[in-house]
Amino acid sequence: MAHQARPLAQGQKAQSGLTLHQRNSIFGYALVAPVVICLLALVFYPFVFAIWISFTDQIVGGQAKFIGLGNYIYLAKTPSFQKTIVNTIVLVASVQGLKLVFGLGIALLLNQPIRGRQIWRGLVLLPWAMPAFVAYLTWKLMYAPNGGAFNVMLDLMGIPIQLDFLSRELAMPSVILATFWRGFPFWVISFLAALQNIPQELYEAAAIDGATTWQRFQHITIPSIRHVILVVVLLSTIWTTNGFENVWLLTQGGPSDATMTFPVLSYFGLQSLRIGEASAVSVAMLPVFAMLAFIIVNLLKED
Amino acid sequence: MLTRLTLGQKTVYYSLLVLLAVFILFPIYYMFTVSLKTPRDIYRVPSLLVPNPTTQNYVDLFGKQDFLQSIGNSLLVATAATVISVFISVLAAYSLVRLKYRFRDGFSRLILFSYLTPSALLFIPLSVIIARLGLANTLQGLIFVYLTFSAPLSTWLLMGFFRSIPMDLEEQAMVDGATRLQAMYRILLPLSTPGLVAVSVFTFTGAWNELLLALIFITSPEKRTVPVALQYLITGDTFRWGLIMAGSVAAAVPVMVLYYLAQRFVVQGLAAGAVKS
Amino acid sequence: MPRPHVRGIVLTFVLLLGLALSACAQQAAAPPAAAPTQAPAAKPAATQPPAATQAPAAKATEAPKATDAPKPAATQAPAATQAPAAKALPKAEGTFTYWGGLIFSDAANNMLVAKVKEWGQARGVPVEVVMINQNETVQRVSAAIQAGNMPDAFDLGRDQMLLLSQQSQLEPVDDVYAAIGKAHGGWLDSANKSTDPKDFGGKIPGIPFGIGGNVLFRREDLLKPAGFTTAPTTWEEVGKQALAAQKPPKTYGMGFALSNVGDANLTTTWLQAWGGRIADDTGKKCTIDSPETRAMLKWVSDLYAAGAFPPGVTTWDGAGDNNAYQSGQAVFIANTGSVSINLQQNDKELLAATKYSAMPKGPKLLVSPQGPNYRSIWSKSKNKELAKDLLQYLADDKFMADYFQNAIYGPVLNSQKEAPVFKTSEVHKGLLDLALNGTPPGWPDLNNAAFAEYQTNFLTPKMVQKIVIDKKSIDDAIKETQTACQQIYDKYK
Repeated sequence: MAHQARPLAQGQKAQSGLTLHQRNSIFGYALVAPVVICLLALVFYPFVFAIWISFTDQIVGGQAKFIGLGNYIYLAKTPSFQKTIVNTIVLVASVQGLKLVFGLGIALLLNQPIRGRQIWRGLVLLPWAMPAFVAYLTWKLMYAPNGGAFNVMLDLMGIPIQLDFLSRELAMPSVILATFWRGFPFWVISFLAALQNIPQELYEAAAIDGATTWQRFQHITIPSIRHVILVVVLLSTIWTTNGFENVWLLTQGGPSDATMTFPVLSYFGLQSLRIGEASAVSVAMLPVFAMLAFIIVNLLKED
Repeated sequence: MLTRLTLGQKTVYYSLLVLLAVFILFPIYYMFTVSLKTPRDIYRVPSLLVPNPTTQNYVDLFGKQDFLQSIGNSLLVATAATVISVFISVLAAYSLVRLKYRFRDGFSRLILFSYLTPSALLFIPLSVIIARLGLANTLQGLIFVYLTFSAPLSTWLLMGFFRSIPMDLEEQAMVDGATRLQAMYRILLPLSTPGLVAVSVFTFTGAWNELLLALIFITSPEKRTVPVALQYLITGDTFRWGLIMAGSVAAAVPVMVLYYLAQRFVVQGLAAGAVKS
Repeated sequence: MPRPHVRGIVLTFVLLLGLALSACAQQAAAPPAAAPTQAPAAKPAATQPPAATQAPAAKATEAPKATDAPKPAATQAPAATQAPAAKALPKAEGTFTYWGGLIFSDAANNMLVAKVKEWGQARGVPVEVVMINQNETVQRVSAAIQAGNMPDAFDLGRDQMLLLSQQSQLEPVDDVYAAIGKAHGGWLDSANKSTDPKDFGGKIPGIPFGIGGNVLFRREDLLKPAGFTTAPTTWEEVGKQALAAQKPPKTYGMGFALSNVGDANLTTTWLQAWGGRIADDTGKKCTIDSPETRAMLKWVSDLYAAGAFPPGVTTWDGAGDNNAYQSGQAVFIANTGSVSINLQQNDKELLAATKYSAMPKGPKLLVSPQGPNYRSIWSKSKNKELAKDLLQYLADDKFMADYFQNAIYGPVLNSQKEAPVFKTSEVHKGLLDLALNGTPPGWPDLNNAAFAEYQTNFLTPKMVQKIVIDKKSIDDAIKETQTACQQIYDKYK
């Protein structure tokens, strides 16, 4: 550590002739440097690379030629792509909606003076702790028409049909449910954390004023955790939209593109080694992310 | 809490909790049952129970498949990524919260926006970088990549945490002759324990669970991490379900135990981190 | 202060680390004093008799043969005695790397690893053999080509060979091809056709080593009671027998995938067997819109509507038919033979009820596509001469005869036809038949890069899905697919 043994009484000047402010600046840059360098090398560069290559006809191992919006125009014309936009929105919006409602509900429940709170909270975290690959394989096995857990249950209930949980009608709900199962703990725990930070006095005062439970929820709880909700929505939406394993392991985007999402479509592009085209699929998601981030960051600033 | 629960509330709450427990535990239970079945029973005797339990899948997994080595690799990678990532994140978060300089806000934003990168395509440019650095097919390469993914989130959460801790104590320490780093080490970090634990747990699980990049970067069998080893139980058009589920149990249990023990810190850590950031 | 919890967490970490260490210790203890990097790959070959986990034909009398083969690699130390190679080979630059295709049979995988290592010892070349799961070859190869760290030689399928040879990533191996042919009584016709230089810009980019492909599996125990005692010879018969023999929801007749996976490209085979074509003879213009395609689609969709397909076929992954058949749920499936190996290990009863036959005919053609597997050399390898030597070394008859016992491939060379397994195992008889009488990949269509992309995008199964899932009319489905197909073909003009 280069900055040791340097007394830092306010306003004092160091031997080197730098002001305290300057020294703090240098120190600040030094400390933040490792993270920033990592980001530039391993996030920023690939990011720029992906954008550049989406404007070329690059095939793995070949020469890249700039073709402008060629890939995007080609994609816009393919029927899969159009379905993909709708599916991605439906999937992400439903999963996030479910997570918001149930995440908040469960967090409120776990915030009650119940016995064994620690145990319940540990329990809620379990799906989040599982490798995604493992979680979705298990769900796939449960959905199986021949002998999967859900069909065995139907059978036990005396309904002797083999329900295809991945049929056109049910595939999307099935994917949504599995994605929800794996993702909701993060929301519950974040909300729970925020709920615990609300000063009890607020509720007490409200109770004295005769506020109903709903009014308390509406006027104290929600405003107090608004910030956390926004942050969680932002992070989780990005994770969910980028999610690949859920759809890939359960349906490969089928049947008939009913569950085709951006990451899966991009993966298909890679199968024919056309990385330019595959990049274009991924880059096409960016404006949506950017908008989301813009909105939420602005909302955060208001707080 | 204001009041004790009434009997009616209790009934409602506990029934809801039981429902929740069933929803969470059923897939985990099912995974466990399949791991104890013979291949024939998995296909031919569909059941929620285990008619003829066998430990053969576990014997095969740990005997034939070198699965222990994969667990060792995963532990190594996840632990190293966690230690390094937390270390550099602490420094960065401290710098971004406690020090003032010109591009501070720019860096904060960069860290947040780095999350926008669509990860699906990262692997090709990343593999180019990793190869240029001579880290292809090494665990170090994997550690390096994982730490990039965890550092932004860790930094961000820690920033929130540090902000929630008043500066007075550190300033007092510095007046008493401590350097900045000493003040950080002695005052700020102990107060931030929950945040540090939360961030460590996130990073550890992230690295433990990651599949796609490990699959591309690691070629040698003796360097496979747990998710890659699991993926290799699927060969061609055959899923060895019993083995896969046994491997899944083995992969999931350590992280689940970790979460279970750390859950209290995770809650506290997120509280401060997400609330104040 | 929550100190005790911290201790708990620290304890967990220590425990986990302990576990890791003990894992490493075990690893080190197993092969005495061997360098850890080399040990794991060599070990299985020596300690684990391949015959134990073995293939369909494993009769007791033949088993010893299989154990013999891989042993020399591990037991025979002096490498010099084994090197009959007269040619002066250059020294290896760095470690010679080989990526083999990981297949279902552990025994076959171990044999290949052992054989390449044996070659390395014989030539004094440090080798690294890595078995790559076929499901992720594409990602790995893409990343490795871009990063410039491809292996010197590797296994690949034909679609990939087409795409990679177009990008000049594969070293021409015409000389090796000729030499191997000469030494082994000549290549089979199918091998010659599948390496036709005119498909690859005038050069042969890879050496075939095994023909994969589908054999029709049928449940005799279900078909006999319905009055069917012989194998169906046409697809229409398959459909009829399927409907007559199935008893939903216990069993379904048509265990064929209609999803977005490779298996489902059987529908392209149907389309061709009905006389339809994906593209014209120039390989430039899509010709999906035809009465023949209509007839095929009508056949499939009628069967689907009649409930002949098991639930879930439209989202099956690669293991779908395998799972359905092993669950006893499917009367017919088309499979490469992995199902048979599975049954051998897990379910003798079902194995006994299973019969095999060659792919049936369509109304117009018999299309039974061969799926050759190749070994290629990376064009930027620094060890090309060594790689060529390795490819010749691996074509060894004795080795391949043993390898075929465990792997589910048909032969590519005349000398390989005589391997005992092609006389004893039902599945291998089917594969031999496929190698001799099957049709070249893609045939009657021109198997060019556009066709390969059409297939990897699963446009034929998706066309079927449009009808049976989206309830579109056959005409609309054809029209949409024709457009999508032409879009792909236009990219390769």
